[in-house]
Amino acid sequence: MREIVLADFEFEIGQGERPVPVCVVAHELRSGRRFRLMRDCLGPTPPYATGPDTLFVAYYASAELTCYRALGWPTPERILDLFCEFRDRTNGLPTPAGASLLGALAYFGLDGIGASEKRELQQAIGSGTWRDRYTPEEILNYCESDVTALERLLLAMWPDIDLPRALLRGRYMAAAAAIEHTGVPIDKPALDRLRDGWTNIQDQLITDIDAGYGVFDGRTFKHDRFAVWLSHQGIPWPRLDSGKLDLGDGTFRQMAKAYPQIAPLRELRSSLSELRLNDLAGGHDGRNRALLSAFRSRTGRNQPSNSKFIFGPSVWLRGLIKPPPGHAVAYIDWSQQEFGIAAALSGDTAMQAAYQSGDPYLAFGKQAGAIPVDATKTSHQPERELFKQCVLAVQYGMEADGLAARIGQPPIVARDLLRAHRETYRTFWRWSDAAVDQAMLTGSLHTVFGWHVHVGEQSNPRSLRNFPMQANGAEMLRLACCLATERGVEVCAPIHDAILICAPFDRLDADVATARNAMAEASRAILSGFELATDVKVVRWPDRYMDPRGVVMWDRVEQLLDHQAIQAERQIA
Amino acid sequence: MAETKLSVITASTAAPDPFDLDSLRLSQSFTETAGVKKLLRTVPVHKPSPQDFVRVQPSEEYRGDFPMIELKDEREEYIVARPRVGELAGELVVKTLFTAINRQGVVFLWPVRLPDPDGRQMEWHRSMREAAEISMDRWTRVKANKSLGAYEMTVAEGVMSDPVWPEVSFQELIKLAFRDRLITTTDHPVIKRLRGLG
Repeated sequence: MREIVLADFEFEIGQGERPVPVCVVAHELRSGRRFRLMRDCLGPTPPYATGPDTLFVAYYASAELTCYRALGWPTPERILDLFCEFRDRTNGLPTPAGASLLGALAYFGLDGIGASEKRELQQAIGSGTWRDRYTPEEILNYCESDVTALERLLLAMWPDIDLPRALLRGRYMAAAAAIEHTGVPIDKPALDRLRDGWTNIQDQLITDIDAGYGVFDGRTFKHDRFAVWLSHQGIPWPRLDSGKLDLGDGTFRQMAKAYPQIAPLRELRSSLSELRLNDLAGGHDGRNRALLSAFRSRTGRNQPSNSKFIFGPSVWLRGLIKPPPGHAVAYIDWSQQEFGIAAALSGDTAMQAAYQSGDPYLAFGKQAGAIPVDATKTSHQPERELFKQCVLAVQYGMEADGLAARIGQPPIVARDLLRAHRETYRTFWRWSDAAVDQAMLTGSLHTVFGWHVHVGEQSNPRSLRNFPMQANGAEMLRLACCLATERGVEVCAPIHDAILICAPFDRLDADVATARNAMAEASRAILSGFELATDVKVVRWPDRYMDPRGVVMWDRVEQLLDHQAIQAERQIA
Repeated sequence: MAETKLSVITASTAAPDPFDLDSLRLSQSFTETAGVKKLLRTVPVHKPSPQDFVRVQPSEEYRGDFPMIELKDEREEYIVARPRVGELAGELVVKTLFTAINRQGVVFLWPVRLPDPDGRQMEWHRSMREAAEISMDRWTRVKANKSLGAYEMTVAEGVMSDPVWPEVSFQELIKLAFRDRLITTTDHPVIKRLRGLG
């Protein structure tokens, strides 16, 4: 490397907006040069090199790189993000002071600046109120204190950094910056209308949705009424050890997948308890922008704020996603990604054949000898559903009792299904057992590109068993985002096993093809040549995106808001 | 930064093309790298449960005839060491021990009595032996039918995968199953009890 540049930006940022850089401080380690520039001194390119001979070092680099984009600067080609490396090194282990720069410094016993001073300054800068309280010199000094801290951290971490794979993680931070810069196009007037009317329509919404259930008393969800409704529907609901119905949102989410009639009730409950519409970040340009929080989860997946990110809250709110005039959005996801990853990485040829059949659930039933070889999805729908639920149960690490509750069958049926999975996919199970053994023997597991989880005191064998699928799925998504953004596709958001892109009508087909190729290429890279298929759902302006699980709720809310508007007009008249 | 520290960093950064994905790829072959194998430490000796479907290891190496004493109340089987057979001839019977496995993967030894020295054989024992033989090819359930006076067999009609047998020799299975139940002397507690001496 010709140059090693450590950099930090300070920037103002409004909710859902792009950052407005305030200053940058950078240290070039080899020459000892220092750069301290306030906004008005920032030119069209960085004052230091950004090519392949320069190592750009930052802590949570996507923040710096969104500033690069705001300034129109070229993205550095070699990025080392010490946040990603700190997360990789401590993933699964306790970090007494968290994973911020200060937390990382504390972890290594290094000196950091005072946390309270930092928060005060950060808030003043972020909100744009720093001008009355701090001089440019003070802002630059503060910014530089982070750069010198970064320098200390780099020296402490360097001996154990796996640079080639660290650079791949850094490359994703550039993609994350591109995605955050783009944002998700939303119907801002509809969001504003919803914010204004939400409080007033809640009671009516409960009345409307609950008409099909009869489980609410005012705004109170009544357990006994829900038990009666479940009984009438013949739905076996999971219970807690105490014997009471398990009413956690996770249970509602799982059960809504098995029993779609649950979905509107789940949407209503989560909306009433968790929806904070004012937090949903909508910028002035009609884009939802939220920090992706890359590498925050144990599997290395993004973990954006549930309340700020449009894909975070209840699924009916995804109806706010709407392409701008002349544009379309495309939601592209991998087909049965987890199953495909398990099949490919374990080397289980039966599982691979099931995946490549295009309908792994039906194929599994046939391979297990429970469904005739000439059966179709239509001719054997109930049987296929059982095998589908079994596959999903294995992916969730579910035991026989959980699967029995989910399929509404006695535990013996669930046990037989799980046994059929073990017997049909023996190679997969040997590999999966070995993954847990390896974690327990060596203290860690890693993905194909070196994202680690370490076995701490609180490690859960179920999540360790699932780690290779989830974490390699995260690798796949990150690589696909890199390839797609680098090839000029406007990626709006990564969502678990999918990406949302936006394109003008005349470029739509080409961009969808580029994005799908990127996803196919990423799957081949992770899975040693095994390619995962993708599905696409395109929504063209003036239509809005809609998740099927949220349609009922969205339509009711729309009706109520319309009704409310008509009443308001009448009152004025 | 001190020059020495900086040189540490700069010297190490001569990495290959950082985005050559093939060179970055790490193995996920946990089966090869974890290096563990399941240890078989318990081998029960009993006839199949009336609810279990079982298979019998068809290889001749995995069955053998043994002089045995059965404590019926305790449902315990003991092997009599060859040198003691003559002295205990009145107490023992000869049984074939088949290596069997159920659908849960539990390996056990299935004792089936051989005909008496005069060639007589109870229907119970004959039907049990027949069941063991059928189980070499098919998953079979064996259940006593008192009205019939014999064991009746049910074979699985559906396609069921073959069992996975542990990589353990028959001799090792016998050792594990009878490690505390081998009669080598006539003052063994079992012999004393049978003779009213214990």
